[in-house]
Amino acid sequence: MAAARVTATDRVELDDMQGLLLRGYGNLRAACFLLYGVEQPDAARDFLAALADRVTPASQKPGEHALHIAVTVPGLRRLGLPDAVVDGFPLEMREGMVTPHRSRILGDVDESAPDRWAFGAPAGPEVHMMLLVYGAERSLLTPLVRELDREAKRGGLREIARLETTDIGPAEHFGFHDGISQPRLDGIGAATHDQDETLRAGELVLGYRDEYGLYALRPMVAPHDDPAGTLPADAEGSPDHDLGRNGSYLVFRQLEQDVPGFWRYVDDAARHAGQKADAKARLALASKLVGRWPGGAPLVLSPHSDDPALADANDFRYHAADADGQRCPLGAHIRRTNPRDSLDPQPGTANSIEVANHHRLLRRGRSYGPRLPIDTALAGEGDDTPRGLYFICLNTNLSRQFEFVQQTWVRSPKFAGLYGEPDPILAGGSFSIPTETVRRRLASVPRFVTVRGGAYCFLPGIRAVRYLASLGGVGSGGEPGNSSRPVGS
Amino acid sequence: MPHQVALTVVAPIRPGGRDALERALHAAGPGGSADATVPFARMTGVHFARLFLLRADVSGAGDPLPERLILMSDVDAPLDRHVSELCDIGGPTLDAILRHCEGYPDTPDPASRRAYLERYAVSAATAYINTVGRGLDQVLLEGRLRETLEHYLDQHRDELAGRPALEIRERIQEFVAADPTLRPALGRPAPPDLRFRIGEAIHLVLVPAGLLALSPILLIALPLGVIVLRIHEGRDREDRRRPDDAWVDMLASLEDHSIQNPFVAAGPLKPGPFRRTLTTTVLWIADYAVRHVFNHANLAGVKTIHFARWVFLDDKRRVVFASNYDGSVESYMDDFIDKVAWGLNATFSNGVGYPKTRWLFFGGARNERVFKDVLRRHQQPVQVWYSAYPDLTATNVNQNERLRAGLSGSMSAKEAAAWLQLV
Repeated sequence: MAAARVTATDRVELDDMQGLLLRGYGNLRAACFLLYGVEQPDAARDFLAALADRVTPASQKPGEHALHIAVTVPGLRRLGLPDAVVDGFPLEMREGMVTPHRSRILGDVDESAPDRWAFGAPAGPEVHMMLLVYGAERSLLTPLVRELDREAKRGGLREIARLETTDIGPAEHFGFHDGISQPRLDGIGAATHDQDETLRAGELVLGYRDEYGLYALRPMVAPHDDPAGTLPADAEGSPDHDLGRNGSYLVFRQLEQDVPGFWRYVDDAARHAGQKADAKARLALASKLVGRWPGGAPLVLSPHSDDPALADANDFRYHAADADGQRCPLGAHIRRTNPRDSLDPQPGTANSIEVANHHRLLRRGRSYGPRLPIDTALAGEGDDTPRGLYFICLNTNLSRQFEFVQQTWVRSPKFAGLYGEPDPILAGGSFSIPTETVRRRLASVPRFVTVRGGAYCFLPGIRAVRYLASLGGVGSGGEPGNSSRPVGS
Repeated sequence: MPHQVALTVVAPIRPGGRDALERALHAAGPGGSADATVPFARMTGVHFARLFLLRADVSGAGDPLPERLILMSDVDAPLDRHVSELCDIGGPTLDAILRHCEGYPDTPDPASRRAYLERYAVSAATAYINTVGRGLDQVLLEGRLRETLEHYLDQHRDELAGRPALEIRERIQEFVAADPTLRPALGRPAPPDLRFRIGEAIHLVLVPAGLLALSPILLIALPLGVIVLRIHEGRDREDRRRPDDAWVDMLASLEDHSIQNPFVAAGPLKPGPFRRTLTTTVLWIADYAVRHVFNHANLAGVKTIHFARWVFLDDKRRVVFASNYDGSVESYMDDFIDKVAWGLNATFSNGVGYPKTRWLFFGGARNERVFKDVLRRHQQPVQVWYSAYPDLTATNVNQNERLRAGLSGSMSAKEAAAWLQLV
């Protein structure tokens, strides 16, 4: 059904899109994220100009390394993007991740409060630019990062954070196979892919029609400010040039995971259930919190044990098999981050999936820190090495996609008719495990994940990168960046 | 159990009194002093209540529409008792707010307060009640029932879990019977009083009967109305301005402090007799629908609204919509767009600037961005808001009702197992 809706104007321009929109780079196991502040806008634009030719387009499948760039709104201002253009961004982008209301709805409070963040904190240095560097192996990545770093310094950029990732395999730090369910763009990728997860391009890529047939908010440039015609035309038909087209909004968050805390809690809770706290009971309970077994098999398909044959299973729904959550609890992590056909209107129907599909995210996160085996975590040998996930997601409507998922599905204690049950993995709270008769209830699951930093960024199309590099002269009215706050203010 | 009624008071503001009124509202709102807060909790049967300053506006024809103070409450009948308690229990704190309103007595007493409220009371064109006839006592009893049963099951799970569902149900019934505060839950709640039910039954039948009698005229008028509608829709201008950042931030600062939120949107109607007649007709039909069709837990697919109402103001040149809903304003607006766009279109498209509709029901809210911007621009901050059960969503309240209902009557083993899934 979805494929038939593609028309010529909906066909995505892969050569202008950054490849991150199409690929998670499973083959490029090493990655590093570099966060910069712009100190000298002129030099930074030169750096960008050189970078534009090296950014990996979606039209190429890289074999050895890939390079991507994202810019925050303060960064765009600093590069000289005039207010009139910046105003085209949605409010969430312009205000950034750390307003009081946004912290409240994202759950960035207490230990996760932005004033404690390592980067992106309100009083810390402004994050302006982010490089996402990928290599097939560490030995290929390291020289590339070193080279980029040198060029960045010459380019008037000051390093705010260098975030190294760790290849810990397909499972995240709690030990669960991750990243299985991903929305696919209409008309791209495997044609056999599950139709439930196929979205119109505009849900993930700016400048295209979304599931409502509309175009998400994005910055536009008046034709006289782009005399060279670097930017694509506005697909909506205005005379403006589209700075957003083929770009996306990138959410970056450092989520620290308390792996010893997680397994000790699960071990303890499994004991209290009167079971022997053997490995099997622990894994069964932890899998109830997640909604998949460590190997990836979804509980709704394999309720009693892990099943390697279902490791990547994603073609399933909830309502017909498990409306009460006796297999996969209603509050389980994967059932709330992607409820499929569980929710109103009309659970179990295509209508339910269509509405849920207005709230999908393309995830591109990477783990950091050394893996901690469960036995070591339980032994309690005081392993306090930081570890966690650099959460990255792409979407075009932050309030309807990322923020909605975070507020209404992940953090709401009332998700799916529940009473006081936020996401047990991301937020903690009480957690019910339905059975055939009396449910089991974990009264207070602690919080295992702490936010350590974050920013909303614009992932520009490649022509848009070139345009940003050309800014100084065109229409920015003198020395750019004067109106913006200096780094560190 | 009583049925529910909606009180709306729309009071004019004393010349120059606006700022003082706003200060008084803030003092009575969240973060304000306790003695300035109207003690709705001490009055009988108040589910929700609010006081807010409605901003000045301009009518569709360009005339100024003044600022007003609006008091709204959703309460158990009789309304008379509620008004008395407002003037008596709530008197002194109401005075601190209402004394900035035009014509409010200088030395108020319960009788003169009452006369003032009655003078400025208006009735809602449409008043939605999540579940008609479910009184506050019932909501609170069933909420307590659920909480107590949660603890009971936590403590006795090991001995109960392996037993047949029917036996577990019996044990639960015994437990409830042993608790004098919960024992009433073993019986079914009484229906609303007979006079109310007879009145509703007559209304249910009489309206269609009247329409049937008028059908020869309506059959001629309807096609004409559709033609005029299409002409109007062709001339409609949608207002694509984005809301002011500071306005959105101010609204957001008031939102999401609990799992419920109050919503108010107000705006002028498009000018001319056609839109005025159409709005009156649509809201009249909507009122019939919410009284007789959408009167239990489900407003055409939306299950997150506790109470809602549409009220005409300023000689039908302006409409106020107010509701008490669960979750975020983003999810609320998404519900509007994804589940009841047709209903929003039929009512709100008569307002100036609404995204363009086709045949009254289509388009409109489906234009997501313009719709959300229009709603945000017309949204009004609610300075004073009260909820009697701020920790319960409408879905929770309805599930609690089903939990209680399952305590009485006979059940098969399968029904008992399904019932146990409720807690």
